[in-house]
Amino acid sequence: MSEGHEPEKAEAKDELKAGPFGQFLEEHGIPSRRLPDSCGVETIELDGKHLEAAMKRLRNSHEIALNFLVSVAGVDSPETYDSVYHLWSYSNLNELVVKVRVPKASVPEDRLPLVPSLAPFWPAANWHERETYDLVGIRYVGHPYLRRILNPWDWEGHPLRRDYKQLVDALNDKNQFSMR
Amino acid sequence: MSETDAKIPSGASESVPVSIPEELKDTVTLTTLDKAIELLSSAVDPVANWARSNSVWPLTFGTSCCAIEMMCVGMSAFDISRFGSEVFRATPRQADLIITAGTITRKMAPALVTLYEQLPEPKYVIAMGACTVTGGMFNDSYSVVQGVDRLIPVDVYLPGCPPRPEGILDALLKLQQKIRTESLAERRKRAYRQRAVRYVDYDTGRPVEDLVAEARMETAEALAEATGYALDHQVRKV
Repeated sequence: MSEGHEPEKAEAKDELKAGPFGQFLEEHGIPSRRLPDSCGVETIELDGKHLEAAMKRLRNSHEIALNFLVSVAGVDSPETYDSVYHLWSYSNLNELVVKVRVPKASVPEDRLPLVPSLAPFWPAANWHERETYDLVGIRYVGHPYLRRILNPWDWEGHPLRRDYKQLVDALNDKNQFSMR
Repeated sequence: MSETDAKIPSGASESVPVSIPEELKDTVTLTTLDKAIELLSSAVDPVANWARSNSVWPLTFGTSCCAIEMMCVGMSAFDISRFGSEVFRATPRQADLIITAGTITRKMAPALVTLYEQLPEPKYVIAMGACTVTGGMFNDSYSVVQGVDRLIPVDVYLPGCPPRPEGILDALLKLQQKIRTESLAERRKRAYRQRAVRYVDYDTGRPVEDLVAEARMETAEALAEATGYALDHQVRKV
């Protein structure tokens, strides 16, 4: 996500002031941390254990009404695994980006990072979370059917990871006449 | 002439052509059955090929944007029915040709091979679009098969991203030319060896042939270790 020149300014300040959505969550006793805006959209970071409560508040509140879950995405950052949620409100025509970041240092070897699932109370998240599991390898705890959705069931590894290495086989090897 | 004829199997029950060494070719005598087949095919082939080439029925198979051009060529503006291919069949049992219109991913690959195996002989493939010719813009992608000729034999390559409908017509004309000039012996020589049934292991979901090959490999390795004898070339053959 391109953030322009804003991150540099943000780093100069120690802590960003909470935006309207951050203040709303704070009023309801849910701590959040504001991140530099992404494309002019307020971005907050949540702890995994507050995710479900925060999402329910944002969706069900009448004045906020962020009741459209646009996407659930995953990012393999250098230091963390991010699970990114985009919320949209059709009544207020505004947007919020929520991130849950799991530090790579806290994930044991041969295990996947754990993030609570939204699928039990927000069906739109079901396939998005399966896709993120498939490609980035984030395990959503509480998902009813966390299987691969895009790749074949016997795929090894998660293709959008930084350390992913594709096996060379008869379907993708290169011959000496190849221009690639 | 004798080269191709020598490879015709003598009996109808033999499906694998017998390959005859170069130095023995002069000594091979054709049986009367071979001669009869040759005579018959030289008489029938021109007519049969003419009929076949003017009724190449494609399979309705489109996996991405090339399929739009394939639909376009079926409609009245370009009108593929002028060349006898207007009947896009929805079942491979009634089709002669697969136009692989679109990207073939690794997940789609087994389905495409199954469809190809279900086509009755003689069957033809047009690799349509850059994705199916070389992988195209999905160069080095983790999920895309880098050229459909890695899965099934291709008759005509049609590059473009996507090709114009005129391009498809040109590919079809080239294929018709190929059909008109081929003989029974040539067709047999390049016949695709297919398996009617594919046995799959219930527990692992893997083809049984792979498991058998693996077991053979392990046995060969164990034997090599036990006897101290290098089975290198034999292992590779397995």
